[in-house]
Amino acid sequence: MDLQWGTIFAAAGAAMAAVMAGVGSAIGVGLAGQASAGVVSEDPDRFGSCLLLQLLPGTQGIYGLLIAFVIASKAGLLSGVSTLSATAGLSLFLAAIPIAFGGLLSAIAQGKVAVAGINLVAKKPEEQGKAMLMTVMVETYAVLSLLISFLLVNGVKIG
Amino acid sequence: MIVSMKRMTLVAHKDDEAAILNALQAIRAVEVISSGQDYVAQAALERAQARMQQLNDAMRSVKPFAKKKAFLATLKEAQAEELFDLLPKATALSERLSALNRELAATKSEIDKNETLINTLRPWSAFPADMQAYAASKRVKYFTGLIASSDVEKLEEIDATAEYQLFNEGVERTCVIACPIEEAKSVSNFLKSLAWADFAFPKMPGTPAEAMEELSEKNRTLTAKKVELEGAVCDAATGQDALVEGAYDAAVIERDRALAAAELERSDATFHLEGWFPADRQADVEKAVSKVTDAFYLDVREPEEDEVPPSVVENSAFVTPFEQVTNLYSRPDPKGIDATPYMAPFYVLLFGMMLSDTGYGIVLAILAALFIKLKKPTGMSGGFARVLFWGGISTIVWGALVGTIFGMDFDTLLGTNNLFPLFVDPMENPIGMLILCFGLGVLHILFGVVLKMKLAFSRGDWQSAIFDSLSWILIVLGLIAFAVPSAVPGIPAVIGTIGIVMAGLGAAMILLFKGRANKNPVMRTLSGLGELYQVTGYLSDILSYARLFALGIATGVIASVFNELCKMLMGSPILVLRILGILVACVLLVALHGFNIAINTLGAFVHCARLQYVEFYGKFYEPGGRAFRPLAYQTRHVRVTNQQTPNPE
Repeated sequence: MDLQWGTIFAAAGAAMAAVMAGVGSAIGVGLAGQASAGVVSEDPDRFGSCLLLQLLPGTQGIYGLLIAFVIASKAGLLSGVSTLSATAGLSLFLAAIPIAFGGLLSAIAQGKVAVAGINLVAKKPEEQGKAMLMTVMVETYAVLSLLISFLLVNGVKIG
Repeated sequence: MIVSMKRMTLVAHKDDEAAILNALQAIRAVEVISSGQDYVAQAALERAQARMQQLNDAMRSVKPFAKKKAFLATLKEAQAEELFDLLPKATALSERLSALNRELAATKSEIDKNETLINTLRPWSAFPADMQAYAASKRVKYFTGLIASSDVEKLEEIDATAEYQLFNEGVERTCVIACPIEEAKSVSNFLKSLAWADFAFPKMPGTPAEAMEELSEKNRTLTAKKVELEGAVCDAATGQDALVEGAYDAAVIERDRALAAAELERSDATFHLEGWFPADRQADVEKAVSKVTDAFYLDVREPEEDEVPPSVVENSAFVTPFEQVTNLYSRPDPKGIDATPYMAPFYVLLFGMMLSDTGYGIVLAILAALFIKLKKPTGMSGGFARVLFWGGISTIVWGALVGTIFGMDFDTLLGTNNLFPLFVDPMENPIGMLILCFGLGVLHILFGVVLKMKLAFSRGDWQSAIFDSLSWILIVLGLIAFAVPSAVPGIPAVIGTIGIVMAGLGAAMILLFKGRANKNPVMRTLSGLGELYQVTGYLSDILSYARLFALGIATGVIASVFNELCKMLMGSPILVLRILGILVACVLLVALHGFNIAINTLGAFVHCARLQYVEFYGKFYEPGGRAFRPLAYQTRHVRVTNQQTPNPE
């Protein structure tokens, strides 16, 4: 039987965006979660501020999901009827690269900053805003990756 | 707006000290700074701190028995005097509680100790003799100990004169060996070759079984006592949380006063207070002191050059909540400008653009409004709640401009034909949206530069205003004008020419005058070249506003993904599954959109703050002010109502 390369590439791109960014977020949130648990064991009142910091590296996974969904719906993978030229499919795959890698690596880096931020909050609770800001600095690059992936997917001509 | 601060020196009779500090605490306008060290006051401060600690402990033991407070419960209100009336009763209660808790802890540890003893004696329960008396013989040496069961067989090799007996089964076996006193040494050496551990019976009469029975009996009594004590703690603590919390707040008020008193300098008859207060509160300060006594000397003056007053700002009701956003970064230098009034409108504008969904804006604004209405929060949480309220309002407007409500198209919902989006659809026209973001960015950044220019002019430094600030405005605007004719058809090329001339003028100003402090023309130009490299900084600052677009689509697309998922659930052709799907989808829609609102509000809040701090404040803001900490009622559980209004009119 004939392989539909366009569809295959598009599906691979969507999967890559969701998986890589998701793995990054899982690692980042996991790191921050361990640090939070440590801080909360000393002072349960810190739970709220720690939770906010722990959440921050989680956004990359959402960005990955977003791009995956946009690719899937553009390629017609959700409705089940899909005829995609190989060029269009490969383009969609390439468009997923920024958020896949940008998301993966920035989420891990952001998780590390979040850990440091949680330790900062443990010692100086009043500096929570600064801890959050430092963590968000890393996210900038995930946001930029998201933007480029989105623009590229948007620009691919179907059919 | 930065409020100017006045430095005060107050001298009055020692007898009036407490009353004056009391009055100053009630008006919450004076920060007392150190003018000397006084050991008497130190001792009083330590007493006040000890009392606070004691009540804090009481609060902890009362807490498990208190009714859980509703999340939206407002703080109780009381006069400071009412709180102080609680102190004697609360102190008595805290002493009783701490005595009970001490006894409870002692009982528990006693029970644990007995339990451990029982456990060590249990392997010996078959031992038939009195634990203290069995080894009394002068002719026989007894070895009492535990031996690994694998080594038991080796005991057969022991000297013929020695006898041994085992008392239990298991991995470690209890064992007594008896031998004539002369053989003791050789038996002892023999035992060293085995897995043998000496055991000493506890100093208790009778056989181990009897001792265990006695210990269990003791523990039964102790457990009864423990239950009784726990009941007593429960009785004493139940329903007392309001009392203890109120008294704790009174102790805090007292401690703050003692802290201030420790900063005073005293002579035989007088005390001397140094402090800061906002210039507009001078009448209040004078009134407060003169109400207590007319025998005082008060000197008020402007801060001197080398003195750093605390930084206090005062703004309109709209801007005030945004001070919290600025405070997260840093308070303004008291000699600089307060940036909050300039930042607040941009904050609202950019926040709405990042969330950009009318439905989410409505939810956010309503939640924030309810929180403010019901909880009446003050300070940081109150400020942020109001910031989010305004952000929600702005989100509603932006949602209409880009045409999304709960991730759906406005047109689909209202049945209008392509009326929405009112402005630009980021999905259809992403480049247009990007240009809008960059445009806002340029506006925001240049506004920062204009503020820096204004600051320089107000300090009389026109050179800095023109060469360091105006030059950059010319360059940025000029380069944009230069690029426009080639990007947009129909714009005359002359605009581009004007642009390049402007940019060149700006660059020339920087090249020639950036290093104006330096006489050497080569060094001057080099320093100008270095400054010109900053153009990359401006470029990256402007590109940073792309996040407005990215976060906007993140919210919108995720919302539509959630809608899509729920639509799939509801689309089953089988009726039963369809009804079930609709039910699940309803619950899921609320939960998923709730999650999306929460995570994206957090994102919008912090990314918006970042744009303000890095891109905007980076251009002109002078941070570094220290917070104003007046002698006041820093209570946590009760809002003290003595003379609350800062302005008497």
